[in-house]
Amino acid sequence: MNSTDLYAALMHEFKNHLGLLGMTIDSIPVNGDAEHDRLVDEARLLCQRVIDRLQQALLFYKAQQQAIVPTVEAYSPLDVVQSLADTAASLARSRLQVEVQTGADVPALWFFDRTLVEMALLNALHNSLGYAKSRIRLSLAKVDDGLEISVLDDSDGYPEHVLQAFAEHQPYRATGTGLGLQFAQIVAETHENRGRRGRVLLSNDGGALFRLRLP
Amino acid sequence: MALISYKGNELVVNYGELRALVVDDYPGMRSALKLTLSNFGVTRIDLAASATEVLFKVQNNRYDLILCDFNLGEGRDGQQLLEELRHRGLISLEAVFVMVTAESGYEKVVATAELAPDDYLIKPFSAELMRNRLDNILLKKLTFSQVYRHYENHELEEAILGCDEIIQTRPKYLVDALRFKGELLNAMGRFDQAEALYRQIIEMRAIPWARLGMARALHSQKKEAEAEEILRDVLDQSPEVVAAYDLLSEVCLARKDAAGAQQALERGVAVSAKTVRRQQKLGELAFDNGDLATAKEAYANALEKGRNSIFVTPADYGHLCRVQVEQGDMAGAMDTLRKGRNVLQASPEGQFVSAVVRGIVHSKSGNKEEAERAMDEAARLSQEGARTNERFMLDYADACMSSGRHEEADAIVREVARNAHDSESLLAKAKRIYSQAGRTAAGDALLSEATSKVRSLNNDAVILAHKGDYGTAMEKMQAACEEAPQNPRILMNTIWIMLKYMETAGMEHHLLEQVIAHLDDAERLAPGHARLATLRAQLRDVEARFGIRRK
Repeated sequence: MNSTDLYAALMHEFKNHLGLLGMTIDSIPVNGDAEHDRLVDEARLLCQRVIDRLQQALLFYKAQQQAIVPTVEAYSPLDVVQSLADTAASLARSRLQVEVQTGADVPALWFFDRTLVEMALLNALHNSLGYAKSRIRLSLAKVDDGLEISVLDDSDGYPEHVLQAFAEHQPYRATGTGLGLQFAQIVAETHENRGRRGRVLLSNDGGALFRLRLP
Repeated sequence: MALISYKGNELVVNYGELRALVVDDYPGMRSALKLTLSNFGVTRIDLAASATEVLFKVQNNRYDLILCDFNLGEGRDGQQLLEELRHRGLISLEAVFVMVTAESGYEKVVATAELAPDDYLIKPFSAELMRNRLDNILLKKLTFSQVYRHYENHELEEAILGCDEIIQTRPKYLVDALRFKGELLNAMGRFDQAEALYRQIIEMRAIPWARLGMARALHSQKKEAEAEEILRDVLDQSPEVVAAYDLLSEVCLARKDAAGAQQALERGVAVSAKTVRRQQKLGELAFDNGDLATAKEAYANALEKGRNSIFVTPADYGHLCRVQVEQGDMAGAMDTLRKGRNVLQASPEGQFVSAVVRGIVHSKSGNKEEAERAMDEAARLSQEGARTNERFMLDYADACMSSGRHEEADAIVREVARNAHDSESLLAKAKRIYSQAGRTAAGDALLSEATSKVRSLNNDAVILAHKGDYGTAMEKMQAACEEAPQNPRILMNTIWIMLKYMETAGMEHHLLEQVIAHLDDAERLAPGHARLATLRAQLRDVEARFGIRRK
């Protein structure tokens, strides 16, 4: 085992231990004491964030060893988005409102790698969970070049330098947001259908708007 | 209350009605999963720590949901367990099986496994995610419950109609329904329709399982070149699709490319060494190709990986010993017998295999007396009805021949030939035995006599049937069946003609009983053969026409 394999194995183990820690935090009951509940909420949010980040890190590691080949299957986009919304709502407890919106022309099935897409979207959700003031909206739309899944919050939006760095395809920076966006970008680009590739679009529209397009 | 019911306009899962089994070798995870399930309202939750415990529990309880960790420590993993549960019909298609895994590489296993779980969860996951996944699968199972019931009652025609309805009315389950229908069409021998269906899926997206299904349909229509091209392309893009190596190997064999067939399986084994049947097949091919080192490794792996597996038989010990003998490693062969002693002593079949191997080893080592004694024992067991896999029976015949027991050898070869009158590889192996013994002419005569009687009875019957004389055709086939009671092809033709006879001449109950017994035999000899489904449907038609209801 070389040192990078060792790091990967260690990360894997951290991730699993954190999973158990997360379950332990989940089992702490809400007791109505605002300060207590706030701290518990913060702890579980942070724990989940570290887990998701470790999962990404493992994937980054894998991507360096060999190209990520998505395992594409037919899934119901609405089911996937609904389950992410439920997860986000639970992480936010009652602090934020999480809603799901879908267009009438959104197909019942779409082909994508569910694990990768969920990880990319979780990232955007963690951002919004951290910055949103009162609500987060997950939406589905059929667009010309495929299916669009978006996350919109009512925060102050992405800072200008993030938008610019992202638009210029700068290599990812050490900050959390940059790393996550870079990851989402990789996920989008590994999805390919008849010569068209997925992509990520960032903008501000009354809050931060993250859009993942899948061909 | 039902498992799923309406609450207003919405379907909801009543978790209180669910009976669940949680499988994990780590007690902490077991109780965490149990806690999560009970938070959903599940009250009846059993726990199991190992595959063996699961096999015991499912035979005594009916579970609606099995939540199983992929990594079960020593012995079988979750995927092997799932395959065994489904192959042995221990859990119904309606039961939900969800794999839990810490590996984010498991989706590759799912995408390629012939038997996939209903869904999988990658650890760690939130309770909400698990709840959503379970809700969705349970609702899907509800949608398919009629289809599954038809399938399990062998009513494939009705199962297809059920799929068609889902295809037309439930867009969310379109791909699932198409996938199931494709498997049904391939199982029923409607290969041209299967081909068209897979083409339709590939039109949507070229997912590996659809291309594999297409290749299978093409191979079954003897369109080998097209099948091979698709398989090679699938493997170029997704080398981890193990099932494609198995099919490619069959396609190569059909194209008389024995080396290519072996190579395909070797690549499959390199990706996943666990499947016992792949190792057995590789052992066979390599042995026939004269590649003893590969044959030995494959047979040894089959025994090693197949400990506790239903797919390992005493013949597998025999095959490994045969390779070792061929390599001149007599001590190794005896050692293999010693290691398998418990298994081999447990059945007449195992005792027979062991006696044959000892006979061969002693005779090659020049221990004449001990060789005689072992061969006597083998002959006695054989006369008492001990039988094993045909390839090994031919090895036995070979051993008889070289120890001068020509009569016994001839009897065995005759029996194998009658029961496999259309198997090129077995007949070729039999021919080799005779030519090595310097009895080429005797062998040719015996083989042609053994197969020609069965063959001509069969051919006559088919001609008579086409002329509409089902009565005489049936007599011919019954004679063929007596000649070759273990020959699946003959059994299936007999069933077909007997049913045709009853369709025209009327019901006769003793014939109907024979048909049912023949069907069971054929299923045992050629499990999952495409023709069996059609014959079952034909049987049901005849029964329905004469108002017979059977449960």
